Amino acid sequence: MAVATTASSGPVDLLINVGKNQSTKTLLRVIILCFIAGAAIASRLFSVIRFESIIHEFDPWFNFRATKYLVANGFYDFWDWFDDRTWHPLGRVTGGTLYPGLMVTSGVIYHLLRALTVPVDIRNICVLLAPACSGLTAFATYLLTNEMTTSSSAGLLAAAFMGIAPGYISRSVAGSYDNEAIAIFLLVFTFYLWIKALKLGSVLWGALCALFYGYMVASWGGYAFITCLVPLHAFVLICMGRFSMRLYVSYTTWYALGTLASMQIPFVGFLPVRTSEHMPALGIFGFLQLVAFLEYVRSAIPSRQFQTFLYVALGGIFGLSLLGLVGLTAGGYIAPWSGRFYSLWDTGYAKIHIPIIASVSEHQPTAWPAFFFDLNMLIWLFPAGVYLCFQKLEDEHVFIIVYALFGSYFAGVMVRLMLTLTPVVCVAAAIAVSQLLDTYLVARSPEVPDTEEEASDGHAKKASKQGGLRASSQPVVGIYNVVGKGFIAGAMVLYLLIFVQHCTWVTSNAYSSPSVVLASRMPDGSQHIIDDYREAYQWLRQNTREDAKIMSWWDYGYQIGGMADRPTLVDNNTWNNTHIATVGKAMASREEVSYPIMRQHEVDYVLVVFGGLLGYSGDDINKFLWMVRIAEGIWPDEVKERDYFTPRGEYRVDSEASETMKNSLMYKMSYYNYGSLFPPGQAQDRVRGARLPEQGPVLNTLEEAYTSENWIIRIYKVKDLDNVGRDHASAASFEKGHKKKKASKKRGPRVLRVD
Amino acid sequence: MRWLSSVSALLALSLPFGSFAAKKESSVDRFTEFHSQAVASSPLKLVDSTYRKLTSGSRDYTVAVLLTALDARFGCQLCTEFQPEWDILGKSWAKGDKNGESRLIFGTLDFTDGRDVFLSLGLQTAPVLLLFQPTTGPHAVPTSDPIRYDFTSGPQSAEQVHSWLARHLPDRPHPAVYRPVNYVGWIITIVSGLGIIGVIFKSWSWILPIIQNRNIWAGLSLIGILLFTSGHMFNQIRKVPYVAGNGRGGISYFAGGFQSQFGLETQIIAFIYGLLSFATISLTVRAPRTRDAKFQLAMVIGWGVVLVLMYSFLLSIFRVKNGGYPFKLPPFM
Repeated sequence: MAVATTASSGPVDLLINVGKNQSTKTLLRVIILCFIAGAAIASRLFSVIRFESIIHEFDPWFNFRATKYLVANGFYDFWDWFDDRTWHPLGRVTGGTLYPGLMVTSGVIYHLLRALTVPVDIRNICVLLAPACSGLTAFATYLLTNEMTTSSSAGLLAAAFMGIAPGYISRSVAGSYDNEAIAIFLLVFTFYLWIKALKLGSVLWGALCALFYGYMVASWGGYAFITCLVPLHAFVLICMGRFSMRLYVSYTTWYALGTLASMQIPFVGFLPVRTSEHMPALGIFGFLQLVAFLEYVRSAIPSRQFQTFLYVALGGIFGLSLLGLVGLTAGGYIAPWSGRFYSLWDTGYAKIHIPIIASVSEHQPTAWPAFFFDLNMLIWLFPAGVYLCFQKLEDEHVFIIVYALFGSYFAGVMVRLMLTLTPVVCVAAAIAVSQLLDTYLVARSPEVPDTEEEASDGHAKKASKQGGLRASSQPVVGIYNVVGKGFIAGAMVLYLLIFVQHCTWVTSNAYSSPSVVLASRMPDGSQHIIDDYREAYQWLRQNTREDAKIMSWWDYGYQIGGMADRPTLVDNNTWNNTHIATVGKAMASREEVSYPIMRQHEVDYVLVVFGGLLGYSGDDINKFLWMVRIAEGIWPDEVKERDYFTPRGEYRVDSEASETMKNSLMYKMSYYNYGSLFPPGQAQDRVRGARLPEQGPVLNTLEEAYTSENWIIRIYKVKDLDNVGRDHASAASFEKGHKKKKASKKRGPRVLRVD
Repeated sequence: MRWLSSVSALLALSLPFGSFAAKKESSVDRFTEFHSQAVASSPLKLVDSTYRKLTSGSRDYTVAVLLTALDARFGCQLCTEFQPEWDILGKSWAKGDKNGESRLIFGTLDFTDGRDVFLSLGLQTAPVLLLFQPTTGPHAVPTSDPIRYDFTSGPQSAEQVHSWLARHLPDRPHPAVYRPVNYVGWIITIVSGLGIIGVIFKSWSWILPIIQNRNIWAGLSLIGILLFTSGHMFNQIRKVPYVAGNGRGGISYFAGGFQSQFGLETQIIAFIYGLLSFATISLTVRAPRTRDAKFQLAMVIGWGVVLVLMYSFLLSIFRVKNGGYPFKLPPFM
């Protein structure tokens, strides 16, 4: 940093001197951080201002429902909650199969505010929890960055980046009440505490790190990222020959306490000692004990040969324990990598073996525009920042490098993991920008040197021999020319301004839609709200029995549970693949096959989402092939994906659609009566751009119960059994007045009846 | 030519009874005939005539025929990928069922040997796996049409086909798939592994400085990060084409749409990111360490111009991908 040398009086100097006093600096920093937190919160409120204070999307509806249950029934009931209103007729052990951190946090805030006599609705706490946490995340990023560099501006820049980077906003706008909302704060803060513990070798900081790690485990399944990254960091440090007592103390403290803390969560239970995801942490724990022991012996016995023996023994034990791990996994004592984790390494695995994971859109790989969209200019500042970390390369810089590599790999494999990459991108980019600005925003220019370059050459050679970076072997002199300074600083400021604009634009356009409520523009430019989802769920709530079972594809399970408060067959907690496949089969089969399935599961209503009228592309017909695939995984003989394509291999819905497609329950429910909206023969599907056959589908076993304003949601009632024991098709044809066809026209030759 | 002689002998003997008896006789015969061949080498290599003989008429055995096109001219990748799996399945079935209790015969019909069969079945694609169920005997099924196995979801493993066969052949033994141990492969791996360890051990004094070189590690890390952030994994997983034509005879470098990309496109992007990063690094690390003032100014201006040009270019590319993107910088408006 530049330090002005003169202390002459004058208003400009006074202004400069304001920032030099230590306490003023601290005050300024606090104010700036408060502003950053304010900006982070404010930029996430688009959806509340445009629409209303509403819970978004799918998963948040479950979290919201669970929070309401927690607030109403207390913690212990919540812990033992068995939910019989989902996964009918199986039910779900909800208390034991969720990450309670989010709900408990909201519950604590709720009770705290109530105790302070602030009249607040639990829904508003849930809606605003994510923005509030983003302010904390910005602060945690500030702390983490300050551990990396001495430049005081880097931390503030990192906090600002983290506050408004769309990669994080995408999962933390107001109303997106999901585990990630709170987990990213915990992730960054745990990393900060880990770095702190490692630097100081302190048990206290290690224990704090374990505490927040436990909180993280309680909040999000992504805790495995920490569980793998911290041991990896430790391992890389050992490989670099940087084993120290600081590392030993901090790691063992973190591991022992953190594992105990994580095992308190019923959903996690004994997984930390039984699954492969957690084995790196356990393995490095054992390895560190060995290394520490050998270090101790080495210091006591200085014989050279004995040392070699020790190193060989170390390598041997490491290899043997690795083999033992493989053996235990093969023997079934340790669960192999669970599908979701395994698909990160073997990227083709999920597509073949677990279609239900591959079917989720956020589990797709990331194309480059998504990176630029979510991180803008940070994406190219990121490698520069990582390079700068190589300059000093202390223990904490190794962490950033390891994190950067693995984070970018995971983000490339799965769109969703952009979220875990964003913090390190912000930290690295802030290091780069702050160093750039520190260099070019210095008012004082250095003197042009005369001729003592020979003297410094020797020094430079020495520096390069020490194993530093080649680029930084020379001593720093500074920038001489004001034009150069102005040019670069100006360009950087312009880029930063564009970055802010970009983030605002992305947040406003892409990430602020609740997806429960759709917005569209009228011809005159005014906003028109499409509220079909809530309309239909409200209808269910008011017009059906309280225990009427609703069958729908699993995407809508949480929303039906949360908004309509009706039991569902399957929901977004996709724990039972067979049950989901059953629903898929019912949707994909002919009525005669589906009806018994629905009867067996006591289905009262069937709900489908249809976007054909409005051009809403996320509808069930577009998801239909996944239903078929998932059903095919269980009943390969009865449901075949091939049958839903035309002979030329096209997926069509018009008159050329395959017979299986036309007879499937999903097709019939989507297009039932649809032609009546149009002049005869003009019915058109606006999503798939197809003209539908003139003769619409006929439904015998279901009757239309409700269709929302824009036909997005269609609800059908499952007919009861026929009163006189006919099957529904013949009953319907009787109603229409068709004559009943004789069972067999041709009679056999008359025979004499002999009694 | 043994079957020919036996059939003709039968014909000669049973001439007065007509061909009916001969046909019936030959169904059992045919199975033992083909089965004895299959024990020697399964799956059988079929040609037009043997295929017809095996599958026509009444039969009390099951036939699984893979219709394939292995010749390189047809460029059927799926065929060549599946063929070793099919051979493993055929071999292990024949080995596990020496007495022919399952009464299943595996056959392979290549397009070059059985053009007529392909034409008569009206097949446009390969490979196709047909299962001919028995028409007589205890496991007979009413329809004589073969069941078709779909290869829609890519190459299949022997186990998958095995389970499909097992589903269609109830109440019969299903010999498990047995994959032969590749001893040569193991030996080669072990020996080469030991060799590599030996080489490393010998040249350790050379390798150590390379491993400990910070510049190399920095370079590798940056390359890795640039690869991953420019969508390389997407190319790997989705197997995107390297470039594509634009329909007017030219090359289109950038795929239209936000969710798609080409191989070359990601390389261009990685290059731009790399250049921008390098400009930043040079401006931050190298420029302030340059002692010559004039050279330093040239360096600062030069890298600054690169920064401005490349970022503007990047934004213009991004506008191609995302139509509604409002931000742009000169000179690439």
